[in-house]
Amino acid sequence: MSNKTGTVMVVGGGIAGLTAAWELTRQNIHVELVEKSCFLGGHSIGFTCKASDKCQQCGACSVEEMLASVVNEPLINVHLRTEVKNLEKTDTFKVSLEKSSVQVEDGKVIKGFSVHNSPLYVAGKDCADDDLPSGAVKIDDMGSTAEIEVDAVVVATGFSPFDPNIKSTYGYGKWKNLITGMELENILRENTFAVRPSDGKIPEKIAFIQCVGSRDERLGNLWCSQVCCAYAMRMAGAIKYKDSNADISIFYIDIQNTGKEFPVFYEKIKSDVRFVRTIPVDIYPLENDRLTLRHMVEENGTPDFEEFDLVVLSVGIMPNEDTDKISKVFNIALNEDGFLDDNAAGTSGVFVAGTASGPQGIADTIASSGRTVYETMKYLGVIK
Amino acid sequence: MISEGKIAEKSMDMIEININKDVLVVGAGFAGLDSAAKIAAQGYKVVFACKDAELPDSGDEFKKFVESGMVEIMTNTSLDDFSGVTGDFRATLAKGNERIKKNFGAVVAAPKYSFEPLNADYGVSLNGKVISQTRMEEILADPEEKEKLKAGDGAVFAFFNGLARELDPCSTERALRSILALQDIENCTAYMYAGNVKVASRGVERLFTEARNKGLVCFKPQEIPVVEQNDDYVKIIIQDPVIRKDIELDPDYLVIDELMNPGQENIETAVNLRIDADLDGFLPSNNVHRFPVNSNRDGIFVAYSPNDAANVALRVKELLGDGIKKVPMDRGVVDEKRCTICLTCYRCCPHGAIFWDNGAAVISTVACQGCGICASECPMDAIQIGTFSDDDLNENIDKAVVSAENDSPKILAFCCKNSAFEAAGAAEKFGIAMPAGFKMIKVPCAGKVDVELVMRALVDGADGVMVAACHEGNCKAEKGNIYAKWRVNEISRRLEAMGMDKNKVIFTNIASNMAHEFADKVNDFALKLKS
Ligand SMILES: Cc1cc2nc3c(=O)[nH]c(=O)nc-3n(C[C@H](O)[C@H](O)[C@H](O)COP(=O)(O)OP(=O)(O)OC[C@H]3O[C@@H](n4cnc5c(N)ncnc54)[C@H](O)[C@@H]3O)c2cc1C
Ligand code: SF4
Ligand code: SF4
Ligand code: SF4
Ligand code: SF4
Repeated sequence: MSNKTGTVMVVGGGIAGLTAAWELTRQNIHVELVEKSCFLGGHSIGFTCKASDKCQQCGACSVEEMLASVVNEPLINVHLRTEVKNLEKTDTFKVSLEKSSVQVEDGKVIKGFSVHNSPLYVAGKDCADDDLPSGAVKIDDMGSTAEIEVDAVVVATGFSPFDPNIKSTYGYGKWKNLITGMELENILRENTFAVRPSDGKIPEKIAFIQCVGSRDERLGNLWCSQVCCAYAMRMAGAIKYKDSNADISIFYIDIQNTGKEFPVFYEKIKSDVRFVRTIPVDIYPLENDRLTLRHMVEENGTPDFEEFDLVVLSVGIMPNEDTDKISKVFNIALNEDGFLDDNAAGTSGVFVAGTASGPQGIADTIASSGRTVYETMKYLGVIK
Repeated sequence: MISEGKIAEKSMDMIEININKDVLVVGAGFAGLDSAAKIAAQGYKVVFACKDAELPDSGDEFKKFVESGMVEIMTNTSLDDFSGVTGDFRATLAKGNERIKKNFGAVVAAPKYSFEPLNADYGVSLNGKVISQTRMEEILADPEEKEKLKAGDGAVFAFFNGLARELDPCSTERALRSILALQDIENCTAYMYAGNVKVASRGVERLFTEARNKGLVCFKPQEIPVVEQNDDYVKIIIQDPVIRKDIELDPDYLVIDELMNPGQENIETAVNLRIDADLDGFLPSNNVHRFPVNSNRDGIFVAYSPNDAANVALRVKELLGDGIKKVPMDRGVVDEKRCTICLTCYRCCPHGAIFWDNGAAVISTVACQGCGICASECPMDAIQIGTFSDDDLNENIDKAVVSAENDSPKILAFCCKNSAFEAAGAAEKFGIAMPAGFKMIKVPCAGKVDVELVMRALVDGADGVMVAACHEGNCKAEKGNIYAKWRVNEISRRLEAMGMDKNKVIFTNIASNMAHEFADKVNDFALKLKS
């Protein structure tokens, strides 16, 4: 037990890190929040609202709200575009921070998804000052090299979405209208309607392919990502609500629950969307940037071809691509799926929160991060 | 510009009040004991009340607190009466004929739920051959019964899983753990007939793969299987779609899946504590603003899991602290002279913040969330909301309409501060194009917008009025958006009756993170008003 500095470092500013930071300040603990990228919020700050005639409880707006709370909380000190270089444990932790390697393309300006991001814009090298939107910060001016001292560490470094290039038969990157669930989230957020990347037109026939990268014995990924059935169905429902002409199919193995009141949700979505219980084998391009899927027909096991205007790969939750480095710097073992092991936490003063320890949606991430904070405060002796 | 129309909220004076530091935990659900122990560890006295005669195995930590008197256990006890507000709840606990009155600062609801076998869905009854998942687990836990399985030629087990109803990963995990245990017994084999195999929980896909690699055959029939059953015989028939033939199996045991059932206790708890439940009968309502353990009432928390128990401990510590709470003064105020005790506000307050004193309604400063629903619904106009009084709002409306640009339709949007106000602010900051004549008025909840406010904007000269609320099911005040929608419909009807264009006033739903969608909606409205 140690509570010398009254400060905890939270590493990663996704919903897990934001929740952890916020909960710590509820008990008057100072937080040093270290975020590798230029913006707080992690993956879920770019998600779309998936409401149809009702809120579908996707949790995206909760992330927005949590971010607003965190940026207005004086007890939280944020280090953007920063990573932990070294961690030395004595009776406290001595931490050396370094600028992260995250870059913005020369001459480009990138924008945060949320209005609560600060800065709102980050510019790459060679951007003329006159062209910059107000409040923009240059990438080279970002990043912290501070040396700090903290009592405990919460690692909330999140996940990496599955890289669809690994499943080469789908040809991701080759066909314009083949996108990932992550891209569709961002498209809907910024355009309200689903649009095809090739021509900006509203697609009529849309396919979602589930379990891309997850539940895949060949890849050794023996886990369900827990969120992709939910986001695919919710986005499909939202698209259909806004455009009743949309003809949407979901190709799947097993449909997972979305959360509370799932049976009601599922009955409704089954009337809006076609569910096909098979996973397409490969994808070919057609004229007009349409795509054809080849899949085995469930009823008779023969191949079938079907054309779509837009195909969405429901990519899953994989261990953060930096996991090896994180595991070394923070001295955390990996579990059998390659995520950070959260069982070891407790005595070492280093705790794990959120998807860094395995797949979970926003609601579960909020709940489990609360628990991580509880354990952290127990370690600090702030609670008993 | 939008910002001119954004009228600042007045800041509110805060006062300190003393609150009760004892906590009531009701219900012997899995997380009840855990919550009680974690709260007691923070130094708060806990009364743990449940209807059961005996507690489940409670663990050493819990027992320690019982011995030290930090946790008082009341078995065979139910909640007879419950009133008050956060920091000062008044409970009457009924134990036999005894009625015990106690006051609490916070309450944790941890109702029990059960697992019900779904045999009726398959038209079979439980007997020696058709058994529930729970019975299966009992057999595997009993060395003698388990030994019997080994004797003879072994046994064939068929597991039904999620064929008639959507289950949850917990029930899949239970089935898979039993299957893996059976696979370790010589000559035992297992088949699974599944709907959607629910693997969305840590480790379950790995168990599923392991079981299949050890020989589990998993059928996913399109229809519920036909089952023939008598005392010493059971047969399962499914149609194989590929070979178009029936596949028959007569297992030694058919294991029936179980569904989580909230039962009576959840609903009773909801009714007693005046908190919302979801459509399945679990607490609280299905609303992201309740993540992870909140209910619609301040100071009442819900716990079902170990994660919940930890979060409840955090919330209780934050709320009770050292017994002093800072709250805004006069969030909502009732004019005693006008109040006729019609009960309207009491019924419509989503946060249980209204009670009675001296012949008038009183709004609790601690429990009130300032949504303003009561103020809009009160037939006597007896209620004012501190930072959003009618005078302030009227003044804001007048200013906004006067200052709006004249060359495009003047649009006045009443924006809920939790959603539309955020989205509109983001649209402005990101420079998304909006009509020049757009102005907005911040409201605490769309439920605060009443007919008078909208009419005032029209009389002032607005060409169009928009009431923008959170999506249904996403309202912090649970129903504020529904009230707002009703009122807009009512206004449209009145406009029509007066021979005016009823489309001058519209209602819309928007989430806080959807700046572009909000701008689209306003631009659409402007176009319609122009034509
Ligand atoms: C396509 C898609 C759609 C989804 N849709 C939904 C949905 O609708 N609803 C839902 O509930 N869930 C959804 N999810 C799941 C959701 O994304 C996660 O639950 C959530 O993002 C987890 O938050 P996190 O903080 O654990 O991780 P992340 O969001 O990954 O955040 C981690 C943060 O840590 C930072 N970081 C990483 N490494 C380091 C380092 N070394 N040092 C410092 N900082 C670092 C990252 O930059 C990032 O900001 C979806 C997932 C996917 C893939
Ligand atoms: S669908 Fe998601 S983003 Fe939209 S209101 Fe509901 S929880 Fe918020
Ligand atoms: S959530 Fe659905 S799509 Fe995602 S891995 Fe699990 S089963 Fe597959
Ligand atoms: S609605 Fe108005 S009149 Fe009726 S009880 Fe409440 S304050 Fe009194
Ligand atoms: S303002 Fe809302 S929370 Fe407060 S008393 Fe009125 S209805 Fe209840």
